[in-house]
Amino acid sequence: MVEFRNVSMGYDKGHDVLSDISFKLETGTMHFLTGPSGAGKTSLLKLMYLAHRPNRGEIMMFGQDVAKARREDLPKLRRRIGIVFQDFRLLDHMSAVENVALPLRIAGGKGPQINEHVEELLSWVGLDERMLANPSALSGGEKQRVAIARAVIRRPDILLADEPTGNVDPEMSERLMYLFVELNKLGTTIVIATHDNKLVEKIGAPRLHLEKGQLLHIQGSKKKFSDYEGPQ
Amino acid sequence: MSTSFDFLPDVKFREATKLLPWVMAIMVYLSALSAAGSLLLHSGFDDWASSLQGKVTVQITGEDSAVIKEQANEIQQILRKVPGILSVRIIPDNEITALLEPWLGAGNITDDLPIPVMIDLETEPDVYINLDALEIKLKQITDTVYLDDHAQWLVHFYNLTYTVEYTALGILVMILLASISIVIFGTKSSMSEHKSTIEIMHLMGAQDQMIAHAYQRRFMNYGLRGGAYGLVLSFITLFGLSKLVQNLASGLVEMPTFPYLTISLLFVFPILFAVLSMLTARITVMRELGRML
Repeated sequence: MVEFRNVSMGYDKGHDVLSDISFKLETGTMHFLTGPSGAGKTSLLKLMYLAHRPNRGEIMMFGQDVAKARREDLPKLRRRIGIVFQDFRLLDHMSAVENVALPLRIAGGKGPQINEHVEELLSWVGLDERMLANPSALSGGEKQRVAIARAVIRRPDILLADEPTGNVDPEMSERLMYLFVELNKLGTTIVIATHDNKLVEKIGAPRLHLEKGQLLHIQGSKKKFSDYEGPQ
Repeated sequence: MSTSFDFLPDVKFREATKLLPWVMAIMVYLSALSAAGSLLLHSGFDDWASSLQGKVTVQITGEDSAVIKEQANEIQQILRKVPGILSVRIIPDNEITALLEPWLGAGNITDDLPIPVMIDLETEPDVYINLDALEIKLKQITDTVYLDDHAQWLVHFYNLTYTVEYTALGILVMILLASISIVIFGTKSSMSEHKSTIEIMHLMGAQDQMIAHAYQRRFMNYGLRGGAYGLVLSFITLFGLSKLVQNLASGLVEMPTFPYLTISLLFVFPILFAVLSMLTARITVMRELGRML
């Protein structure tokens, strides 16, 4: 599904924020991306969601080298990726329902079928009373849930989440992790960048650990995370 | 698959593009006036030129009106025999007086005023009459006879008309170029305002065409809306001006009728500006997006 081969990346003419990164994620796996602030987690995710090209190396996604992919081929690839941004990046002029429906509409979906599907998912993340609210009227936790709903609505092949539980209470955090695990069971490859070691321990998925732009080690799982049954 | 929907937020009060319909209104207004001026002049010139087609005026001047009237009768007899001349008519005194009154004032045309005798000739179309030779022949009766087929005056007026028309065309081209520049500026400004929205759309897999479509639809709307305002304003101005000119010129010059059919060509301007805005916005968006990953 995803393979990085000796990838380095920097912004403009500054020094590399990621150096010589190599790893491979099989289809249908779930990984945590850990490391201290500034280690390069968000930059690594940016490469994976095709917001940047690497300075060096190869990035294989869905069987093709996206570092060399033609620009006009990128939208098709991006539609296979779900993203939860650290700062949510919801569109302020749209309601929660419209924000979540956005990936479906971009893919050409129309009509009430979209809304039905979107409303169902928003209810599931506990926002059935806030569906028509604009992001400016939502709390941090609510925004995060809308962002997650938007990322998963199209059942992406790969889901990339940057601190997806940073603004929610522990109960909602577990509920959202359960959603990710369930998606993973359905075959979605998942990468979650997080600082929450407790969560990593609890789910037990393998992790990619970054420090100072280098991938130090990939730890194996301590338990079979697919057994995770969600919040008790 | 190419889908489209308007993902852009409503234009906020502070946004530069809020003013675009008004800018378009002014541009269409100026274009319409410029084109209308050119069309009216062209149409007026054609009317005047065709009314003078096949007309020659013979003028006999002199101090003694009895003598020049006698000479006029003699000249009339000669002219009637010239092949290609359809009719010869000495203009009666009362008609000449009526022509002069608006300029000299009623009652100011007295008998001691040396008013020339005028003869109107109507010639057959497509028949060439050598007016120079004819004038030489008539000068055997009196040296003070002059033939005027209005060609000299028409040539001057023709040159003036074309100069004004080309100037109007130049102004129109400049207005179009200015409008294109304004749309480019407005599109770039709007894209900068909505940069984060465009980035999100991109990252979720929106194609450039989808983003461009939202902009081209919005800018076409600006062009149409502004164009309609500008056109209505230009019609009001033209109608007012034509009434004013007709009142001022009444009696002095025969004004051509207002060419409603020709002026209806101005309806093309809002459509032209809408299409121009749409295409400019599309090209600008596609070029700007091409710089993004």
